[in-house]
Amino acid sequence: MNFSYDENQLEIKQLADKIFSELANDERQKLVDASGSRFDPELWQQLAESGLLGIAIDDSYGGMGFNFESLCLLIEEAGRYVAPVPAIHNLVSAAMPIQRYANDAIKEQYLGPIANGKTLVTATLANDNSLNAIQNSNGDWIIDGHISCVPYAVYAQAVLLSATSEQGLVILLVELNADSKTLTLVEQQSTACEPWSQLHLQQHPIAAENIIASGDKAAECQAWAQQLTIAAQCAMATGLSDKMLRMTAAYTSQREQFGRPVATFQAVGQRAADGFIDIECLRLCTQEAISLLSHSVDNSNQSVINEAVTIANIWCGDICHRLSQSSQHLHGGIGVDRDYPLHRYCLWAKQLELSLGSSASSLEQLGDQIAAEFA
Amino acid sequence: MNITFTHEQMALQREVRDYMSILMTDTMREEMKDPEHFEGGGPEFRRLMKKMGKDGWIALSWPKEYGGREATPIEQYIFTEEVMKAGFPYPFLTTEAIGPVLADHGNEMVKKKVVQGILDGEVVIAIGYSEPDAGTDLASLKTRATQQANGNWLINGQKIWTSLANFSDYIWVAARTDQDAAKPHKGISMFLVPADNPGFSHTAIHTLGVRTNATYYQDLELSDEWRVGEINKGWGLITGQLNRERLSLVNHGPVYQLYQEVAEWAAANKNSGGEQLLNKAWVRGNLAKVKTGLQALRLICLKQAWAMGEGTLTMEQASAAKVYGTEFFVEAYRLLLEILGHNGLIQADSPGAILKGKLEHRYRVGSILTFGGGCNEVQREIIAGAGLWMPRGR
Ligand SMILES: Cc1cc2nc3c(=O)[nH]c(=O)nc-3n(C[C@H](O)[C@H](O)[C@H](O)COP(=O)(O)OP(=O)(O)OC[C@H]3O[C@@H](n4cnc5c(N)ncnc54)[C@H](O)[C@@H]3O)c2cc1C
Repeated sequence: MNFSYDENQLEIKQLADKIFSELANDERQKLVDASGSRFDPELWQQLAESGLLGIAIDDSYGGMGFNFESLCLLIEEAGRYVAPVPAIHNLVSAAMPIQRYANDAIKEQYLGPIANGKTLVTATLANDNSLNAIQNSNGDWIIDGHISCVPYAVYAQAVLLSATSEQGLVILLVELNADSKTLTLVEQQSTACEPWSQLHLQQHPIAAENIIASGDKAAECQAWAQQLTIAAQCAMATGLSDKMLRMTAAYTSQREQFGRPVATFQAVGQRAADGFIDIECLRLCTQEAISLLSHSVDNSNQSVINEAVTIANIWCGDICHRLSQSSQHLHGGIGVDRDYPLHRYCLWAKQLELSLGSSASSLEQLGDQIAAEFA
Repeated sequence: MNITFTHEQMALQREVRDYMSILMTDTMREEMKDPEHFEGGGPEFRRLMKKMGKDGWIALSWPKEYGGREATPIEQYIFTEEVMKAGFPYPFLTTEAIGPVLADHGNEMVKKKVVQGILDGEVVIAIGYSEPDAGTDLASLKTRATQQANGNWLINGQKIWTSLANFSDYIWVAARTDQDAAKPHKGISMFLVPADNPGFSHTAIHTLGVRTNATYYQDLELSDEWRVGEINKGWGLITGQLNRERLSLVNHGPVYQLYQEVAEWAAANKNSGGEQLLNKAWVRGNLAKVKTGLQALRLICLKQAWAMGEGTLTMEQASAAKVYGTEFFVEAYRLLLEILGHNGLIQADSPGAILKGKLEHRYRVGSILTFGGGCNEVQREIIAGAGLWMPRGR
């Protein structure tokens, strides 16, 4: 049993912290916010040049070849700064399944450019069955339907999606840059101002090579990608909540009312301490899930992994909610002022809370898993 | 990072589990039904403690010079978990909190008689800190010890909630030795009072869940050899072991066991409408909430034990574990007892008791830990101060 990170991992954390503190500080983010879309290409490019986008991409494609646990350290730091970059969508939800399930041509085409920041691939892998796929006699596919909340679609070259078909589930890569009459993107405004789009596909053709997985393999790929994404979101939530709490502690320590710092009121200190305990719970349950996902070589402990990921997601939803509300409350008015950085954290916390399963739905899922175990 | 037990740790877990399953006799279970002996002290308890001493278990975490196995904090945590799960009223505070202090600060006589006695399973020590007017604010204690011309001490005062004092061999007493100290905690010294000293007496206090005692020290004369540590430097001895003590308070093992037993019970039983309980959404929800909380508790405890082994345990971590664990216990008992329902309230010895009335009893003792062992408000102050650098009031 060992709760520490190795030297390489600590270096990743430091490097990420350095880049974010220079390029994702409050001043810079005000500029990004003013641009109307929370994406900072310069920051993304800087992460690429430092090699951080390739942490978990094999060295044969120009990455560092480290494991998922190491990648999550970058993501936790991105959370600590609410960095306006698609770290999870691109590096986890899209790149990881491509690396594990795609054919060599697709890997060749995408993994290198993802690692060096030339290409952005996004993903939407919720099980909502809103896309339908039919295979032609020539082996190619036709996709119909529309989905919402596709993150960074306006910047991405391709999106990883799941669709239902007569052959079962398929996971496919849809190219977005094509000037196409059968594919339309409609931009959406989300609470956290992450660039989202509705994607409409009308008899949209997809080449057979772009099918990443089908049938049982597709279900496996989707479940795995979802688990990685949830675990990465939990890592992001850990960094995010921790920072919210630190900001709250610092602010209440200097803000005075009734002639003394508000932090010296016992009720204020107690509520902050509850936040500290909450974050400890989230952090540890997240580390457990990530560690299991990173080190498991086969499916022998699948139920343990499922449980750990679900539990981490429950904590993630609860803690994102609790920390963001208590931070705003203890800040008072400035906590909701768009000129003060806390608001970004709170909005992002709300998004993490509801992505890929709320606490309530995850609790139901865990309850079903428990019932199956004891039945 | 690798949050799994090593092969050695798993082997130890099996070893302790097997040992405890044999050790815990029916006679012991019978003896514990008597509230006087629920926390030990009966003849079977004494016999089994000696056996554990002889078999080397009490010294598990102790240095080799005491015949110990020098178990790491994680190994000690595993031991604690298995002993607690077995339901044996092992006196952890004697062996893990007071014992090591006596080994560090006691004189040769204390080491030979008391420390060796603890390791042999022959000595149990009660803790005499709290007083009627000194609870959370322990440093305000009034029990007074005055040194006589012959060097002996004269102790006068009253302690309250002195658990185990009705059968223990010694009382570990904190007494004021300097009335004029600049700060209250600077005038306190520690004494081991043999329970057969004629100046010592006790009366029973029956709480909701366990029996404890009021203890009295009346013109109690004590030779200076029973003083432990320097005069007026007792506070450090009281607080030195607190982190370690707090960790054994919140071991996740017993609640994990209850969770499993309730889940099995819900799989085997139906509600009044004939539906299997485990199929009800609310039952699954309650089990899921308990499991979610347990996972966090398990990891918090293991991480602490690991940090202790690395020498990196911080105050705020220890306090966070204490607050989280004790409050989670209360919540877990409620969620699990809801599943058992009304019949879950039938007491252990009555016909129809579910799971031997364990949860009914857990409910009754559940609240002690949130104010005992350093009340949770004070723990939260420690977290805000040491963990978040927030200034304190007052
Ligand atoms: C069953 C049982 C066994 C025990 N065993 C032992 C034993 O073996 N040896 C021993 O010495 N003691 C023992 N205790 C005593 C225990 O340690 C005390 O109950 C504990 O220290 C709290 O003291 P108190 O009960 O006087 O509560 P108080 O100190 O009166 O506190 C009551 C409440 O006031 C609030 N409060 C107090 N201080 C603060 C603060 N600074 N900030 C905010 N809120 C505050 C908290 O909500 C607290 O719970 C035992 C108690 C019980 C019930």
